Amino acid sequence: MRLLVFITLWAGRPVARGLLYPICSYFLLFSGGAQRTSREYLRRILQRPPSWKDVFRHFHAFASTIHDRVYLLSGRHRYFDIRTEGAAALQAVLAQKRGCILLGSHLGSFEVLRAQGMFDHNLPITVIMHEAAASNLNGVLHGLRPEIRDRIIPPGTADTMLAVKERLERGEIVGILGDRLFNEEKGMACEFLGQSRRFPEGPFLLAALLQVPIVLFFGLYQGGRRYNLYFEPLVDHIEMSSDRRSDMLRPWIERYVSRLEHYCRLSPYNWFNFYELAEHARPSRPAV
Amino acid sequence: MASSQPDTSADDALEQELASLIVEALRLEILPGQIDPQSALFGEGLGLDSIDMLEIALLVSKRYGVELRSENKAALASLRALADHIGRHRIR
Repeated sequence: MRLLVFITLWAGRPVARGLLYPICSYFLLFSGGAQRTSREYLRRILQRPPSWKDVFRHFHAFASTIHDRVYLLSGRHRYFDIRTEGAAALQAVLAQKRGCILLGSHLGSFEVLRAQGMFDHNLPITVIMHEAAASNLNGVLHGLRPEIRDRIIPPGTADTMLAVKERLERGEIVGILGDRLFNEEKGMACEFLGQSRRFPEGPFLLAALLQVPIVLFFGLYQGGRRYNLYFEPLVDHIEMSSDRRSDMLRPWIERYVSRLEHYCRLSPYNWFNFYELAEHARPSRPAV
Repeated sequence: MASSQPDTSADDALEQELASLIVEALRLEILPGQIDPQSALFGEGLGLDSIDMLEIALLVSKRYGVELRSENKAALASLRALADHIGRHRIR
């Protein structure tokens, strides 16, 4: 991994990208689980049986975005052709100094926003993420620009949400990827690409408790050096009643899921949830 | 003889009051008396998640005027730790 980072930074992106072909081929041959998940997803989104080329393209898009993180997190994002739609939605919220939840997903790349936002616009953005999620890659990348490491809150600790609250109170942005459940997290079953899939309630409950707006974000990889960023306002504040919480949250979760589906159709090969099947076979915990 | 010991009965009362508040706010399916004051609130112990902990912080702020911040993590360890912290900092 360190070697690939080294090649990327010194030999340049085209050379290092050449290495992605053998890497993807290796995964195509040897990663049974990820390939099954990929095929199952592609069959539903493309509405036809996927070929091995489709699966390869899917893996290649994933590898490209992971690889590009080396550039993005080392402050070389200007190399990319990044186009943005709907940034006014975010600016409007920031102008109110209320703080907001920027709700993203594992569709495409979140790093492209972190990089551009932090380095070019001084966007006060912190992301809730497992440092371990991208394994040893994060360790290497954060060595490149340490300031970006301070902009991570690890999930699942007693004070995670207190840290989030403090950032929001300062009028900052907290980024959350809303399409993947952590361990025992409370989830709500929603219809997604014709199947029931559980989505976390946490980000919505958080917005309701702290009365902050949610803005949606999607950063889609378009091939080559091109990324398209989309922002959409979701809700200004979620009304809460103490006894029927899930009912109050449901419309907003469903709205998020339907926008996620929309962007999946726009960039089908950007869906990077490769470790799904086992999780969805598990019975869900009763919602609170 | 006057005791110089801390007033444990007051602490017990605060613990019990907190336990009731927590059970009610988080709609836990246990009785307040069933919370072991020394076992962990978060994770393994009582099984609360980080959003539950935020709700506890919000209700503590509302009820006692005590702002729990991320650097007060130790106060979130158990019901007893929380009651101690509130006892020392409460303004109402």
